[in-house]
Amino acid sequence: MTLDVTATIVFVALFLFVTWIGFIAARWRKADLDQLHEWGLGGRRFGTIVTWFLLGGDLYTAYTFIAVPALVFGVGAMGFFAVPYTVMIYPILFLVFPRLWVIARRDGHVTAADYVRARFNSRLLALAVALTGLLATMPYIALQLVGMEVVIGALGFPTHGIVGHIPLIIAFVVLAAFTYTSGLRAPALIAVVKDMLIFVTIFAAIVIIPAKLGGYGAIFDAVPEEKLTLRPPMAGSLGDYSAYITLALGSACALFLYPHAMTGILSASSGHVIRRNAAALSAYSFVLGLIALLGYMAIAAGVDKNPLYALGFERYGANFAVPALFLDMFPSWFAGVAFAAVAIGALVPAAIMSIACANLFTRNIYKEYWRPDCTDAQEAKVAKIVSLVVKVGAVVFVLAIPQSYAIQLQLLGGIWIIQLLPPILLGLFARGLNARALLLGWAIGTAVGTYMAATRGFVSSIYPLELFGLTIPGYAALYSVVVNFAVAIALSPVLDRVWPQRGALDPESNRR
Amino acid sequence: MARKAANASLWRYWPRLLLLIPFALVAWVPFYNRIEPALGGIPFFYWYQLAAILAGAAVVVGVYVLEGRKAFADDKRGRKASGKDRAGRGPGAAR
Repeated sequence: MTLDVTATIVFVALFLFVTWIGFIAARWRKADLDQLHEWGLGGRRFGTIVTWFLLGGDLYTAYTFIAVPALVFGVGAMGFFAVPYTVMIYPILFLVFPRLWVIARRDGHVTAADYVRARFNSRLLALAVALTGLLATMPYIALQLVGMEVVIGALGFPTHGIVGHIPLIIAFVVLAAFTYTSGLRAPALIAVVKDMLIFVTIFAAIVIIPAKLGGYGAIFDAVPEEKLTLRPPMAGSLGDYSAYITLALGSACALFLYPHAMTGILSASSGHVIRRNAAALSAYSFVLGLIALLGYMAIAAGVDKNPLYALGFERYGANFAVPALFLDMFPSWFAGVAFAAVAIGALVPAAIMSIACANLFTRNIYKEYWRPDCTDAQEAKVAKIVSLVVKVGAVVFVLAIPQSYAIQLQLLGGIWIIQLLPPILLGLFARGLNARALLLGWAIGTAVGTYMAATRGFVSSIYPLELFGLTIPGYAALYSVVVNFAVAIALSPVLDRVWPQRGALDPESNRR
Repeated sequence: MARKAANASLWRYWPRLLLLIPFALVAWVPFYNRIEPALGGIPFFYWYQLAAILAGAAVVVGVYVLEGRKAFADDKRGRKASGKDRAGRGPGAAR
């Protein structure tokens, strides 16, 4: 592949533009950035519209834009599970998280672990929550780099060898610098640009590409029949059906437990803002559904058989489907816009994820175990430095370790993060839970989920559960969190007898 | 007595039951795992689920509006408590 000069110029120009925005963001709604809640939560002042852009930019990541259509391109209907998943996340957001926001605001919590620490008066449970969040987020940041690498490759840069990694390293140095200076304000402002670029790209794609390919009918006709729907299950098994819906439900339950989603939620200025966004964010879901269909457009356009793109597919596999489709269908300058949308779409979540990790480490490990008496300014300073370390870690991870590991770790991350559901959900809506029972539930749930993934060689998170002679293939995260809930609820009254609970630090957060 | 009042205040959350609708729409996979009836060449499997996103959004908006009326009234009455989020916690918290 040769370097596409026009596309590259547009790409670099847009990249420089968002870099500038990233740095001036420090002066937006100016406040003392030496306070952790100012640097790491934007002062909890984001209104409905900023939160819409921020959460949209946070949850619908570059990796999503590349991987979801790639999955549809590769396996067909099963890849569309992302759509029922997005249908289910918003009722959950509406019901659960405004309540968490109120408590976090009142008590000054910056992370989910802060909340658990205060609600259950358990340092150990809070540590478990913090470590789980850190472990699940790190590979996720690395995957954002993967998304960026694919579009940089599509521009025609060589992405192998030391020289090939330079564009990626530059992008991350820039990202690290503006995150350090501006905190959460930077991704919040950049998300506005990112989302506009994404919307423009997708609307162009769903108008121009079907027009060139002869309409949606022709696109679906070009897709092999067996890919269009899920395989009907064989006797004695629920087959693809249970896999499809448990994947959607489990992913929906897990989403807002991720530290970066939590950071986006806690930075809102009120519970109303969160509820309004539970409705308004559906606009992104709809766009995600359309993006998924790009996978079929790539099949219909036959980009995988085009010798121009053979090298890209060889290097990036199905992840190259969407970039190849854009190169094939759009003029160079617009391909540059589309690729910039994906790359900037990687910067926003990567920034928020690194801030979320920094908040977790600083609040729940550094301050809790190391320097309980540190000042606010020291706390913010540590968080800024940790955000740098996290990003360096992600770059090293992507460059030094085979990509398949990042994907497998992210798959495990989903299984681990969902184990935080019992402490947070039961903490918010139930009484009489014992911290040690929750901790045991977390440990057993994590072990069971990891075991299930191990039986599939860490390449699939679909575990074939055998129940009364019926095979129910389903998402290991969902199965393991059921075990987690069962252990936590069943053991709570027992452990209350053995080790009487000390009760919450603050009786208010214990009350319904 | 306190419990009775708490139950009564839970009633103001009835619209939240509507939030089960989006789950119900997508829960039964065999219902929508089919090609016909296609819409403008798009198989049922795809347009149905895309429509479910819009229906889900409509339900959330509906719940927000239904709850909103009561909540805004509460907000006006008790500004000192942080608005509707506290008002639902039963007696004592609201007043």
